[in-house]
Amino acid sequence: MSLKTAFESQPERRYVMFGGKGGLGKTTLSATSAFWLASHGKRVLLFSVDPQASLSDIFQRDIFGKGPVKIMDNLWAQEVDADRRIREYQEEIRKKILDMYGFDRVPEEIDNYISAASAEPAMEESAIFDAVVDIIVQGDYDYYIYDLVPLGHALYYLSMAKVYDEWINKITRLREEMRQYDQVAATMRRDETVQEDQILTELTYIKDRINASSRILTDSNRTAFFFVVVPEEMIILDTRKAATLFAKFDVPISGYVVNRVLPPELRSPTAPPYLQNRIAMQERYLADIKTAFGAQVLAYVPEMERDVTGLGMIERLARRLFAHEGEARP
Amino acid sequence: MAKKKGGLLSVFKDIVYGMSSHEMTRHAVRTRASMEHLFILITMGDLLGIPILPPYYSLRLLPYVTPQISSWKRRMLRERDVTDVLG
Repeated sequence: MSLKTAFESQPERRYVMFGGKGGLGKTTLSATSAFWLASHGKRVLLFSVDPQASLSDIFQRDIFGKGPVKIMDNLWAQEVDADRRIREYQEEIRKKILDMYGFDRVPEEIDNYISAASAEPAMEESAIFDAVVDIIVQGDYDYYIYDLVPLGHALYYLSMAKVYDEWINKITRLREEMRQYDQVAATMRRDETVQEDQILTELTYIKDRINASSRILTDSNRTAFFFVVVPEEMIILDTRKAATLFAKFDVPISGYVVNRVLPPELRSPTAPPYLQNRIAMQERYLADIKTAFGAQVLAYVPEMERDVTGLGMIERLARRLFAHEGEARP
Repeated sequence: MAKKKGGLLSVFKDIVYGMSSHEMTRHAVRTRASMEHLFILITMGDLLGIPILPPYYSLRLLPYVTPQISSWKRRMLRERDVTDVLG
């Protein structure tokens, strides 16, 4: 199996994620896959949930906080500006309070709470989480490619979906119970109608959003999750650990992509000893990778002679990455 | 005449309600109010310095509980003594 056949044989896997430690080339591989799919006529949205997003760098255009920006035919890229989203969200809440109660200004205590809540570290993650839900529920692309944050964050992100889900279920139940008491009181007083519980409506809305997002994240029919590794000892160990953790959250792992492989043509008896050592070491780690991940390795990506930035370079890498049919070979 | 009859009937209904189900209604309303405070505690715990969950979605609920916030805080932060148990 290669990355190409992985995409071609499972066209219903429309949510694509590349995960791995920081700096291994997740953005490069996301962008390259997005490019390849787009040039085969699929409408692709590549988006970043990383507060330090690097899509602007790889496409050499400032797309931060600008919504989906068209990069080329069929390819859009988006970087979420979490800070702005939080500010807009705070304003929305304040405005709602003013409108609902006809206040001139938000009561000080409430206003302080809104400001304090927004300073919480979890706020940014949650805002991004919510933005992703917005992006994926709109649903007018063939492929959604997540440029994922480093592993720790990705796990946090996934566990958040699970925690939110359970939390929301509990309080929705409490709220429904409260509604029953309302009904009892209303029936005994012979009131005709029970006022609609707007909180329950709001909770149901939140629940639907969280469920939609966590369902997609853990649905092996619709989601492809690729791990990016490089042939280095620490990275291999960490990736194996992470893979176990991801399995706990029911994230379906579709395969591994080995990045930064030194090109075989460097292997020559006249090469300087430094390079010969590096190559020998790399061969050892490539063997380790083969033992650890075996047939799940979908591609070996060569170390390019320069940074992969700009569409020209992405196209070159795509041609190499998606060129071969059948087995992946180093 | 018919109107007066209706009036009498409604007075009668009120008396029956007062004798039979007023207590139960009060109980239901009070339980409901306690649950409301529990609900606010779970969603807005931050306001008392008890961060229970990420605040992003609790902010969404804040407008609906705004009027109850001060009575809730009073109740949660009020000093308690043995008469609470007796009451």
